Amino acid sequence: MTTLGQLVLSGIFIGGIYALMSMGLTLIFGVLRIVNFAHGEFLMLAMYGAWAITKMLGLNPYFAALAIVPAMFLFGAVVHQVIVRPALDKPHLVGVFATMGLSILMQNAALMVMTADLWDVPPIFGRSVEVGPFYFKAELLLGFAVTILCSLFLQWLIRSTYLGKAIRATVQDGEAAMLMGIPVPRIFLITFASGSALVGLSACMMMPLFSVFPTVGLNFVLIAFVIVVLGGMGSIEGALIGGMCLGVVQSVSSYYVAPAYGQMFYFVLFLLVMIFRPNGLLGQKGAATIGIND
Amino acid sequence: MSAANTHQSQSTRFLFWPRRGSQISIFEMAIFAGCIAVAMLGLSQSLKDIAVLTFLWAGLALAWNIAGGYAGLISFGHAAFFGVGAYTSTILFLRFGLTPWFGIWCGGLIAAGFGAALAIICARLRGPFFILSTLAAAEVVRIAAMNWASLTGGPEGLSIPPVAGVTNMVFASKTAYAVMMLVFFACVYVVTKSLEGSRYGYYLYSVRDDADAASAAGVNPVLVRTAAMALSAGLTGIGGSLFAQYFLYLDPTFLISPDLSFQFALLAAVGGLGTAIGPILGSFLITPMSELLRSYLGSHAAGLHLVIYSALLIVVMLYFPSGIAGAITRIAGRRGKS
Amino acid sequence: MTAILKVDNLSCRFGSLWAIHNVSFSVERGELLGLIGPNGAGKSTLYNLIAGAVSPTRGEIIFEDQRVTNLRSYEIARIGVARTFQIPKPYRQLSSVENVMLTAFQHEKSVGGARAFAAEILTDVGLKDYIDAPVTNLTVGLLKRLEVARALAMRPKLVLFDEIMAGLTPTEVGTMTKFVGSLPARGITVIWVEHVLYAIMKTASRIMVLNRGEIIADGVPAVVARDPAVVKAYLGEEMAFA
Repeated sequence: MTTLGQLVLSGIFIGGIYALMSMGLTLIFGVLRIVNFAHGEFLMLAMYGAWAITKMLGLNPYFAALAIVPAMFLFGAVVHQVIVRPALDKPHLVGVFATMGLSILMQNAALMVMTADLWDVPPIFGRSVEVGPFYFKAELLLGFAVTILCSLFLQWLIRSTYLGKAIRATVQDGEAAMLMGIPVPRIFLITFASGSALVGLSACMMMPLFSVFPTVGLNFVLIAFVIVVLGGMGSIEGALIGGMCLGVVQSVSSYYVAPAYGQMFYFVLFLLVMIFRPNGLLGQKGAATIGIND
Repeated sequence: MSAANTHQSQSTRFLFWPRRGSQISIFEMAIFAGCIAVAMLGLSQSLKDIAVLTFLWAGLALAWNIAGGYAGLISFGHAAFFGVGAYTSTILFLRFGLTPWFGIWCGGLIAAGFGAALAIICARLRGPFFILSTLAAAEVVRIAAMNWASLTGGPEGLSIPPVAGVTNMVFASKTAYAVMMLVFFACVYVVTKSLEGSRYGYYLYSVRDDADAASAAGVNPVLVRTAAMALSAGLTGIGGSLFAQYFLYLDPTFLISPDLSFQFALLAAVGGLGTAIGPILGSFLITPMSELLRSYLGSHAAGLHLVIYSALLIVVMLYFPSGIAGAITRIAGRRGKS
Repeated sequence: MTAILKVDNLSCRFGSLWAIHNVSFSVERGELLGLIGPNGAGKSTLYNLIAGAVSPTRGEIIFEDQRVTNLRSYEIARIGVARTFQIPKPYRQLSSVENVMLTAFQHEKSVGGARAFAAEILTDVGLKDYIDAPVTNLTVGLLKRLEVARALAMRPKLVLFDEIMAGLTPTEVGTMTKFVGSLPARGITVIWVEHVLYAIMKTASRIMVLNRGEIIADGVPAVVARDPAVVKAYLGEEMAFA
């Protein structure tokens, strides 16, 4: 029984961190209505960055976040201006191919520069935290805490600030928002860059828990998409709930499923969600309705 | 004709080239004549190798285009069909001694089955989620191939003994392979052209452009999509089998990789989606470049050629979405030809 | 004359909202039935139900004595029901004639034959100059006519028109009204949703009024126009009719 409890709780915690990684994606999708196929590679880039800073400056990845988050914000802004913005007024296909191209480009650039080896950061806390009968890695708990803080911050931002209202207006009706004087192109830019920054933050949380290698993005991007679809497009709370559900499922089943096929598990789960629940747990607009003609 | 019929001014209006029916233009005939010459000429071994691969990729890009360009089913997982075809014919040959001349059709059929299954499973999915599902499905196939060692030989893959002989479909001369791939290319081309101007082609375009309107016109979108995917997958599977017979080694990491899947889409998109000539141009341009790059840069630029091609794809899609073929049409149109 | 279409206690619920509630009516072969009602009355939902795009929560739809309630939209199209879309849905990568050819393929299996037939229909609706034009060149008014052409190319027994007059000039409205009015004589039964009321009041032999998912009036145009319930439903809208 304790095993199950351990699995479920650690699933919730890791799921929260996955959710942090997905929040950027759901935000971008909700506001810009495009899918960033390079999302996983943004994560990969940030993870390499966190690793590099840790290795070179002797800091830990959590401190590296101070540099990585703004750097990813800038990176996101550049990608938006150069690649995403020209694609917005063209058929959806263009954005798909452009971000897909970016994904392959980043994967192979990483392969060239960093080689295919797996890189890790040394453990930071080196011991587990005891909570009742359960043991959790301190990095896991810290990451989860950051996730919760971040979601609360985002919720506040979206509900109470002008920027948040502008974003919500843009989501509901871009043209009307523009007529009301909301600088929609700038909102797009800020949203995309912020999504990228969120990925950067989650990369710093994930670096102590995972290794980085050029194609690490592929695994996580599918997790991110499952979470986004489960939680509903554009919903921060949805991403959190979806993430935690996914974390629990992954944690419980990888205990009982053969490790060699464990990797396949994400993909099968993704397909299952696509088949049976394309509209999300919360029944919001999901994979079945967002289409190329939208 | 009246002013209403003048060609569109924005490059984004027609992502796909206006079809001209199943007429084969002089340009296309010239290309084939050139191909035959290249196949037969006494060129160096490395050039012959490039020709073999270029013809194969032209056929594969055309096959991808049936689903991606004509039916709007953008797949970034076609390497799965390629691999399934290759593995099927090779396993049948190594285990049961079935001649590849028969085996390639089995490979094609099983790959077509996979394609149909994928289309049915993903029938309700639209846009980016369909694309991701193709990625996911391909990864599932790859991991299965890597781990089901008793069937597929696992990560070590499978080797076909290099014993030349017509029944083995293993040839001593590259010329023979070049001819074989050229025949494959020509066959896929004929299939594409027949589809393009036929009623069924129009069913594909209608489902691609507006599935609801197509349904209201009496077209069954799920059936059309499934058929298109099955056809595309089957042809790709046959190409995979032929590749196995040429390369003589099946490595799951390479054969069913996202990079390979990307290449199908890249060739078609850069050349011009939804046209017959587009994927051909894409392949003729990129495949030789790719092979030459690989031989010059050797192994210390693992991934460099893909960096270049993905950058190329980004630029082409943002500024020339109708690909090379579309750009040529526009230039020709501006010069007053029709 | 037998009823070509019979709708029996049809209801459709989305979440907690009854978009269509206990709607029953029948349409005779060769009738030109006008369907009007304020925005949000459920007219598009009713069309979607009849055309098979949406499944009803309750009730039956019978077409030519055949129960079609749960058929898919392509199946319903194949038995002779055509529809236009309120917001035109053309095939954007194709030309006008190719758009119409798709529907013509229902009964004309050769590409050449379908093309010729499609060109004829396009000429009939006044799109002769746009036959080979990419549809992205067409204005909304022309696209609506394209919708009409697509529907008619099916040689349908029943056609559902959805606001085909929007964006047309008064002259164009007159031409189109005459055209629609001529369809019953060609053996096509017409149901016509329209906001341009004077056109429909002049041409239809019978008007049905839908409000909040229910039929509130059904009869001859002159009578329906004076029905207090109908006037109230439109609340403030002036109804001008010839």
